[in-house]
Amino acid sequence: MPRIYFKTVDRYVEFAEGEEVNVLRMAIREHCDVPWQCASGNCGTDRLLVEDGAENLDPPRRRERARLGDLVDAGYRLACQTYTRGDVTFSWDPDQVGLDDEPGSGGGSRAGWAGTG
Amino acid sequence: MAELMSHSDFRVALEQAFAGTMAKDASFSRAWAAGKLHKQHFVHWATNHYHYIGPFGDYLGLMYANTPDHARDAKDFLLQNMYEEELSDDRHTDLLIRFAEACGGTRAYVQDRNNAMPFAKGMQGWMYYVSGRENFVVSSAALIVGLESQVPSIYRTQYPTLINEYGFSEWEAEFFDLHITSDEIHGERGYQIVLKYADTPELQQRCLHYVREAADMRFAYTRALYQTYVEPDLGPWVEEDERQPALVG
Ligand code: FES
Repeated sequence: MPRIYFKTVDRYVEFAEGEEVNVLRMAIREHCDVPWQCASGNCGTDRLLVEDGAENLDPPRRRERARLGDLVDAGYRLACQTYTRGDVTFSWDPDQVGLDDEPGSGGGSRAGWAGTG
Repeated sequence: MAELMSHSDFRVALEQAFAGTMAKDASFSRAWAAGKLHKQHFVHWATNHYHYIGPFGDYLGLMYANTPDHARDAKDFLLQNMYEEELSDDRHTDLLIRFAEACGGTRAYVQDRNNAMPFAKGMQGWMYYVSGRENFVVSSAALIVGLESQVPSIYRTQYPTLINEYGFSEWEAEFFDLHITSDEIHGERGYQIVLKYADTPELQQRCLHYVREAADMRFAYTRALYQTYVEPDLGPWVEEDERQPALVG
């Protein structure tokens, strides 16, 4: 079975062979603490560094390219915009906030206030 | 008498409840994905879709009012979903109208309720009914698990066709791109709320009933789009692999 390795929290999430899965959906489903806010490619809170397996990801579409800019070339993807069909490894800064938010501004993880626990 | 299912068994039961009647398999969706539709068909689709999902904020607002204070996470999710539909970016219905305009339609045509099929008005009425009258966990199962969580599976097939076969720009087709991903997350959060708060066998069974009903409603509505607008132009829908022997033979 292919699996996503959420390295920052040391968690593996498996999915069925032949499926393409949304990375943020899998992170939320399995409580992997990826920070996020908008789920629609606007805020950049859920940017992840692809450490391995980039070839298994679908190419970034317009919203993701526009939001990440040069970060795409530096190996980043937005979890909410990204689908994978094979093994992949991601890491991130657990304290990161949206790309337009100042650190410490409270613009970070929505999982904290809207999580279902 | 049904027993209380574990979260994992209940999740599988919810997924199976709409597996056989997903709107992506209805004739209009199949013709869309096969590149057979004309721009005028898309104007009709957008018009009907507008009257079906245009009041989504209303439906969520009714569900919000029906959700008790102790289910704070569920209330917050509904509020967040409402905000994202209406305010966080371009209003979702404006993106839908942008697509209709790219197909030759107008805002006035799309917004005129007289241009929608009875099926679309039926969908709208059913959604007002369920969101206004049912327990919040049941309406979450119906509208979010049964309907919203289907959206990525539909648009992930249709979006590339819009760009590659029908020739729309990414800007014109942004409505679809946005919903592929945002509804993945809304759908998943909906599952979590239903799994958490459907905490009696009766509630679980009622959720399953409404997920089936939601899927049936959307399938019938999507099939009616084909019968009403496309069949007069293209004839009854026949799958390519069924069409092939006839062409050869
Ligand atoms: S959560 Fe905002 S860009 Fe993905």
